Amino acid sequence: MRKDAYIVEMRRITKRFSGVAANEDVSLGIYKGEVFALLGENGAGKSTLMNILFGMYEPDEGEIWVRGGKVSIKSPNEAVRLDIAMVHQHFKLVENYTVTENIVLGMEPVKRLCGVLPMVDLKSANEKVRELSRRYGLEVDPTAKIEDLKVYARQRVEILKMLYREADILIFDEPTAVLTPQEISALLNIIKKLRDDGKTIILISHKLEEIKQVANRCAILKRGKLLDVLDVSTTSTATMAKLMVGHELSLDIEKPPACFGTTVLQVKNLTVENKQRFTVVNNVSFSIREGEIFAIAGVSGNGQLEVADAITGMCAVKSGNIILDDSDITHKSVRERNQAGISYIPEDRQQTGLILDFSLADNLALKRYHTPPFCNGMVLRKSAFSRYANELIGKYDIRGGGANGKARAMSGGNQQKAIVAREIELQSRLTIFVQPTQGLDIGAIMDIREKMIQQRNNGKAILLISLELDEVLACADTIGVMYNGAMINIAPADSISANEVGEYMMGVKKYEESYA
Amino acid sequence: MRSRTRKLSHPIMSLLGNKRWQFISIPLFAIVCSFIAASIIILIMGKNPLSAFYSLLQGGGFLPKPNYAAYKSVFTDFMDTMDALAVMILASLSVVAAFRAGLFNIGVSGQMLLSGFVATVLIGYSDLPSAIAKPLVIVIGIVVGALVGALIGYLKHKFNINEVVAAIMLNYLFQYTISYVINTRLADPVSRQSREISTAARLTLVGVQLGGIKMRVPLAIILAILCAIALLLFFTKTKQGYEMKAVGLNMVSSRYAGINTGKTTVVSMIMSGALAGLAGTSYYLGYYASIQPNVLSSTGFDSIAVALLGNSHPIGVIFSSLLITALSRGGTYMSSIVGIRQEISSLIVGIILLFSACGSYIRHIVDQYDYKSERGQS
Repeated sequence: MRKDAYIVEMRRITKRFSGVAANEDVSLGIYKGEVFALLGENGAGKSTLMNILFGMYEPDEGEIWVRGGKVSIKSPNEAVRLDIAMVHQHFKLVENYTVTENIVLGMEPVKRLCGVLPMVDLKSANEKVRELSRRYGLEVDPTAKIEDLKVYARQRVEILKMLYREADILIFDEPTAVLTPQEISALLNIIKKLRDDGKTIILISHKLEEIKQVANRCAILKRGKLLDVLDVSTTSTATMAKLMVGHELSLDIEKPPACFGTTVLQVKNLTVENKQRFTVVNNVSFSIREGEIFAIAGVSGNGQLEVADAITGMCAVKSGNIILDDSDITHKSVRERNQAGISYIPEDRQQTGLILDFSLADNLALKRYHTPPFCNGMVLRKSAFSRYANELIGKYDIRGGGANGKARAMSGGNQQKAIVAREIELQSRLTIFVQPTQGLDIGAIMDIREKMIQQRNNGKAILLISLELDEVLACADTIGVMYNGAMINIAPADSISANEVGEYMMGVKKYEESYA
Repeated sequence: MRSRTRKLSHPIMSLLGNKRWQFISIPLFAIVCSFIAASIIILIMGKNPLSAFYSLLQGGGFLPKPNYAAYKSVFTDFMDTMDALAVMILASLSVVAAFRAGLFNIGVSGQMLLSGFVATVLIGYSDLPSAIAKPLVIVIGIVVGALVGALIGYLKHKFNINEVVAAIMLNYLFQYTISYVINTRLADPVSRQSREISTAARLTLVGVQLGGIKMRVPLAIILAILCAIALLLFFTKTKQGYEMKAVGLNMVSSRYAGINTGKTTVVSMIMSGALAGLAGTSYYLGYYASIQPNVLSSTGFDSIAVALLGNSHPIGVIFSSLLITALSRGGTYMSSIVGIRQEISSLIVGIILLFSACGSYIRHIVDQYDYKSERGQS
């Protein structure tokens, strides 16, 4: 094809942050009307590259050509003027505005009351939004308030916002990270429809299956450099994975058959209320045995996090009992539970799992500093801190600033590695993993899953709470599904299909039906 | 043009950009900036800034004045400054102790007043000999201050009452109640302040003759420096110090780690209160020997800014206290010699504190520059 057929062309783009190249000499061209995927591990430079195209950063070197003309995009406003739009990972919506109000924000249609007073013409805007959503299968009520909408609906609002502005180059930054399997396939259909309508779509992702499904071509970035641009239809996902990670990587983890021992954790009729006295966990019961990975699947916000917080003592229990190895810990302090044998890898690794302004050594000792050898009576022994830190840094390959570097300066993957190292080293009877691989690249994901399964093989009880169905299916021995605060189904992992779990997660299939 | 300004600012920026020395280089930079700003103000007033700063140091007892009254020398002035310095260090350490656990003790003045008052009433007017009276004054100061701190900490922990609100309300409560008692029971008919305490109870020895010079000997300065060292050791070497830092940096993570955050909050306020109490006794039963009714000491409020200027570090606070105390003590002399009003020295102190509060902003600018300059080179 001739060069000028590219709608967007990025030539020799280089971008450095504090001397480290986020993008180095990247050149790629995108044809009009295709779905172009950007694939790469975390920190490979995908988002940086697209943020450059969207005007969030200026490149240090290189040129951008749009529709055959050289452009300099200094701000997102200029990108919008070039009909480029982006759906970010974190939505940028006004919570207490309606869908339409959010969509027209900044370019409100004006009508004049009595021919003088300027008013926002919401009625016609509502109509236009409704028409757009019908055309692309993006069903959403234009008059609903954002705060009442689920995550997938909010994403649709973001997409509608782009379409309302008549953008025809659409950038999606990891759009499926927050969605359930059913919602993902709906979104992929929408993307196909948009493409068929002549829009050009750039999809940032590290999920190979999605790329395989919708993308025409796929660029693979690694450490800021462009490795290759592939034709998706003729390339296998295995090849893509190999290129992306740089070495052969089996996507399946070896998991020997389960060998269950005695019951470690029993949760009986657990009910938890949140700060607004609203019941978020409703009469939940389950138990976990030695050598078992019990996974709780569910869409975000259905009470899974509160179950973990209640077991670890981070939030109060309204009623019910939590029993660890025959002793009732329902009303014990966090410290007592830790010492009774609970490890906890929390969802929010930066705000809960770590003290970011502590050194790595201080963070690794966060749950042990009060016991020998870290402490002798009242006095801390800093030499023990650094010795322990260096041991764990070697054993778990934690990279960053070393034992004395601040946790804040480490990458997300290494922060998570540090937390996992700390919690596993406690050698607890029960380890709770909440969203352990969120936002990590394939290498780190496999590493953490392997560690988890290794713990299970060593006879530990594991509670895994994950929003990613793939993760649940890959790791679990037993799957419980939570919906609306209730545990609506518990089944051995090999007796239930992915689709069934998905249906429970969406509340399509109810508890009664499964027994009917 | 842009590249020229970059060339000019580059050495300063690279100096400030060194992370290892930022703890000292940034406060120093802030102080230099504030002196430049103060010089401009003095120049506008038609005076010589150098002679102004020189006389400032003379007034604080760091440089000799041209002449002295009988029995006085530069050392006399210096010891006066040391007396005020002891109070400032203790008050600032009080702020630092609370800061460490993420709390803001704005009630240092009130705690100072109450402990000073209690020690005055219980010991100041007694006939106890010096060897018993002085230690008792110190102990009472610590205990009274600690109790007030414990109350504030407990209210915060148990009822989630913001420590700033509780401390401000207690400030008023102490100020007016104590003023009432002084005015009705303890007032000296001439000075309208509380009657002077016995010299035996006073923590500052007054009129000590040494080598033909009379001077004050503030015992509290030794206490202040010991407290600073003890606090540093506590922060860095003990279990509670580690917990306090953790709670101050991140309450949720601390709870997650199993730290009893409520206890840590209360302990930190007890320590802060005890140090404020100590500051109070060394102020009202040391630097002064009486209590002026209806007034809270400004030292208690200045100490917040002094603690910030000292990077909230126990040893840093010694130096920032020295700077601020020297400036405010030298101000009187400067105004009489150079002929600029004393308010100007207060203004300089104000400017320093303003710049020091901008420390993190300066750091931010330096970091920004860092990234830009590297991009410029690429």
